[in-house]
Amino acid sequence: MTVTTPSGTGASVAAATKQDRRMSVVRTASRWGLPILLVVLVVVATITTGDFMTFDNIRAILINTAIVGIVAVGMTPVTLSGNFFSLGAGQSTMLAATVFLVIVGAGSPVALAALVAIVVLVAVGIVQALVVAAGLNPVITTLAVGSIIYGLVTFATGGSVVTAQGADIGWLATGSFLGLPLPVYVFFVFTLIVWFLVDRTVAGRRITLVGSNRESARISGINVRTTTIWAFVMMSLGMGIAGVLSAAQLGQVTSGDLTSLTIDTVAAVLVGGTAIQGGEGSPIRSAVGALIIVILGNVMLLHGLPTGLRMLGVGALVVVVVSVLHVLRKVAAR
Amino acid sequence: MRTVRVAGRNYGLQVVVLVIIAVALVVTTPSFQGESAVFASLERLTLVGITAAGLAVTMIAGELDMSVGSMAVLSGVIAIQFGDLGLVPAIAIATVAGIVLGALQGFLIAKLGINSLVFTVGTLILFRGAAWLVAGGGPVTLQNFRATDPLLERYGVFSPTSIVAIIVIAVIGIFLAWTRWGREIYAIGGARAEATAAGVPVRRSLVLAFMISGGTAALAGALSSMKGASATPDSFGSLLLTAVAACLIGGISLYGGRGDIINIVLGVLILSVLSAGMAAQGAQSYVTELFTGALLLIVITVDFVVGQIYRRRKLLNVRSHLVAEPAR
Repeated sequence: MTVTTPSGTGASVAAATKQDRRMSVVRTASRWGLPILLVVLVVVATITTGDFMTFDNIRAILINTAIVGIVAVGMTPVTLSGNFFSLGAGQSTMLAATVFLVIVGAGSPVALAALVAIVVLVAVGIVQALVVAAGLNPVITTLAVGSIIYGLVTFATGGSVVTAQGADIGWLATGSFLGLPLPVYVFFVFTLIVWFLVDRTVAGRRITLVGSNRESARISGINVRTTTIWAFVMMSLGMGIAGVLSAAQLGQVTSGDLTSLTIDTVAAVLVGGTAIQGGEGSPIRSAVGALIIVILGNVMLLHGLPTGLRMLGVGALVVVVVSVLHVLRKVAAR
Repeated sequence: MRTVRVAGRNYGLQVVVLVIIAVALVVTTPSFQGESAVFASLERLTLVGITAAGLAVTMIAGELDMSVGSMAVLSGVIAIQFGDLGLVPAIAIATVAGIVLGALQGFLIAKLGINSLVFTVGTLILFRGAAWLVAGGGPVTLQNFRATDPLLERYGVFSPTSIVAIIVIAVIGIFLAWTRWGREIYAIGGARAEATAAGVPVRRSLVLAFMISGGTAALAGALSSMKGASATPDSFGSLLLTAVAACLIGGISLYGGRGDIINIVLGVLILSVLSAGMAAQGAQSYVTELFTGALLLIVITVDFVVGQIYRRRKLLNVRSHLVAEPAR
């Protein structure tokens, strides 16, 4: 016995370190996979595509990322809290854009109109949060609310194009500093704020806890309803800001606009690697996810590939990234 | 008595909603009456009915196929591109493509053990991209116009496409209720861990479920594109919403294992009557979408509340029994 015990312990220690090593490899891979993917993509793009590393192109990429990125970053807390994602993101953003343009068109100051649009969205978000926290499925709730918003806005506007009626809002989209327009800065700042709220505040940590284990969060005294409301408020802020900015970019909006935003946003969150089950992920990752998707599309566009191939490429990226992340998580959990 | 109560609990709300909508529309809309109203409602079965019936199978299996809209587009484009081969071969090729892609999708989801919601968001984009490619970057129209003539005939209140829809829905109903593989889909949806322990092959059931949802979406897309003699790669944008709404309004649970063919039929009928009636009123499509959204919210809320009350009453019942017979 005395002879076998040390060797047995030694074997189990060796097994344990082997397991630890595998775990750390997996963890490193899932933590750094995304930044590495981004770097590889940029390097490959720079080498193969002549026009990629020009200031104008980088600027265009950032502008294209801003709107989707802001919505994706805002949606991340909802995914983190275990409430999947909003399937009404496009319609909600469209609502913000419409409210903003109507109020600006009526002659009120831009700041006030933006504030009203964001407040309206937050109100809609809180209502959805209450419904979802009561136990109804978030996917269905947001899907239904999205089609109700679409119906109501079309009804209110008669399906016609809403413009700013000549009010000066263009500066919101084009006003630039150091060569980059305002929406890009808003995207950066919003990402940092949401990251801070989620990662460094009590309310934010509760969101992650509720997502990783709803029942134990409840038992340890966390109010699930309040936490869900916080998550939805952050999402609504993102949609409200994105709506105002895209209204400024386009100068007009109809109720049928921004329909592809929902799937683009969900794709960004998923490519970013936020777990659909909740509890794992980060707003910064979603921002990077949005950036990767836009860069991939941009490179293919620069190579003159048609719409179909570009969509195919983005779809394949989502499928592969999501599958690889899933397998890594499964190995780590073993 | 018990069967009546169970039927009431399972279908009561949906039947009431269907009757209210049908009566309200018939009374308020002079042009929505009799044979033409029935015909118009049945016509809506082709796209939404077939798609919803297949989607319901994945929902019963406890999964969700988000890619059905893109699948319908892809298959519509394929059918039009093969239109020169004739009506039936074109639709058959498109449907087989959907079945193969669906089976592949189901296999990967089962093999990886991945959440189907996440995976099919990716294939949603992928299939739409494929549709753009097959279409060559824009709308495609049928060269051989005469090919689709048989689809435009009418037998009383039925058309060839609505008959196909009814057959497909019936076959799926029989499959779910009376075949071993159908029951296995309920088992993995209702309680996957227990089903696995009992030896139900999860992979086969998932492949089958996604094969059915892919195949039906493809058939629906092919039929309705051939009927219109053209396909656009960015069409069918709201098909997913409508099909999911039809299943949920009918009483199929998103958590799996609950709902049967009567639920599917009721859900599809409610939305078909609603959209046909609204169209007869001259209302625009957004009104239908508004009502669909509101109806969806109302039905799932009522269902949720009734479920809570039902569970509470059951609990009280059990408790009173325990109090009455403490010896046992």
